[in-house]
Formats: sequence, C-alpha cells, structure tokens
Amino acid sequence: MAKVAREMVEKAGVNVDQLLEILVKNASAELTTFYYYTILRVNLIGLDGEGIKEIAEVARIEDRNHFEALVPRIYELGGKLPENMNDFHDISACPPAKLPKDPRDIKAMLTVLVEAERCAVRGYTNICNITAGKDHRTYDLSQAILNEEIEHESWFSEFLGEGPSGHFMRRGDTSPFVSKFLK
Amino acid sequence: MEKFTKQELSHHNGKNSTKPYIAYNGIVYDVSDSFHWKDGKHQVLHQAGEDLTEALQQAPHGEDLLGRVPIIGKLLEDE
Repeated sequence: MAKVAREMVEKAGVNVDQLLEILVKNASAELTTFYYYTILRVNLIGLDGEGIKEIAEVARIEDRNHFEALVPRIYELGGKLPENMNDFHDISACPPAKLPKDPRDIKAMLTVLVEAERCAVRGYTNICNITAGKDHRTYDLSQAILNEEIEHESWFSEFLGEGPSGHFMRRGDTSPFVSKFLK
Repeated sequence: MEKFTKQELSHHNGKNSTKPYIAYNGIVYDVSDSFHWKDGKHQVLHQAGEDLTEALQQAPHGEDLLGRVPIIGKLLEDE
C-alpha cells in the first residue's frame, strides 16, 4: 500500500473505500470480458465473422491489459482483489458478454460486443468524474482506459451500421493509451 | 398503476429480500431483474428505494436506459 498516496486522495475529498470498490468491480469486468471475448472471437467465423475477428481480438487483449493496469492501483490505494474467483466474477461492473444463442447471427454478436464496450465507457467516465482534479494517478489511468474503450465502442458501432468510427485499425502494438502503465 | 410515497419507496431498497425499486421523474421502476442493480445497489454509489431524479443528471448515462426495466408505479409528490 502507498500510504501517503492514499492519504493525498482522501485529503482531496475522495471516498477511497468507495473508489476501491468501483475499481475492483471494473477490474472484474475487464477480466471477465477478456474471458467471454475469447469465446466470442473463437465463434467469429465465416465471411462476416472473419471480418470482425481481428478487432474483437484487439479489444480482448486490450481489456486484459486494462485489468493488468488496474490491479497495481487497487493495491497502492490499500485495496485488494477477492480471494475467490467466483466472487470476483459476480461483482463485475458489467454483465457477462455471453455468446448469443445463434453465434452465426453477426448482428447479435456485434450487439453483445458493443454493449460490453458501452458499459465500460460509462464505468470509466464515472471514475474520471469521481477522481478529476483529486486523484491524479487514478484519473490518468482511467482516462487512458476510457480512450481505448471508446475506440472499441466505435469500431463495433461502425460494423453495426451506426455510422463511421473515424478510426483505422491498430497499427503496431495494442493499448496505445494504457501501455505506459504496463511498462 | 400502484402509487408510492417516498417512505413506501424507501422500503424497496433490495435489502432483506425486498424487491428493489427506484424512482425517476415521478415514475417508479422495478430493477429486480437488472444486472446493474444487484442487491439493490448500483455502481457502488446508489441504493434502490430512492428517487434518483437528481442523481441521474450526474450519471454517465441518460434516462433511455430506464426503458430496459419495467415501470410499476408512480411516485406521489410530498405533501
């Protein structure tokens, strides 16, 4: 635990225990999404499925990176992860991104993916709102994750025909915003 | 449609096996089946059994998400 770091955040007026609960729930959402996206990616087959497999894979890997980046901050602030994986799964901030009944239904697959990303975008916006100007390190981390979640949302949204994302697929390494927290 | 006072609404906080209800703009919603209201709590910060009209203005989502949960009544104004 980083005692003074926690103290600074408390002094700035943040309820650190509440913040930790939110961070742990979001860390759970990232790890469970990584798991469920693995199943989704495997089932993205055929002409339509293959077309979105690569971005689903990037989103999957980046969500795992988000989990990895969140964990140190949780412990710095004096929090911890649940001892039991079942408990961890059940406290997730977002619903499980489960495989739709018909995995060949690409619209249903994309809807699962975009809903998961939208939940994440709301979650990190909330953390940014709570920490802005008060907990600089959590804010910086959450904002970095938010940047990537917004890109994921726009990719899947574009495939759903909701309009152009304005993005091109990743060129080079994954997690352009969060990677600084992983070094 | 059932009518609730704020006090009656407060009993529906999701604790002790009560069904979690929330109010927004005078409408009462049943959030029992919502993943986001497990045990009557929402994103750590909000508890069921409350009028969340003001809180929703600060939330990272709009009232459109309430369209996903059933309406079960009306909230009576304070007398």
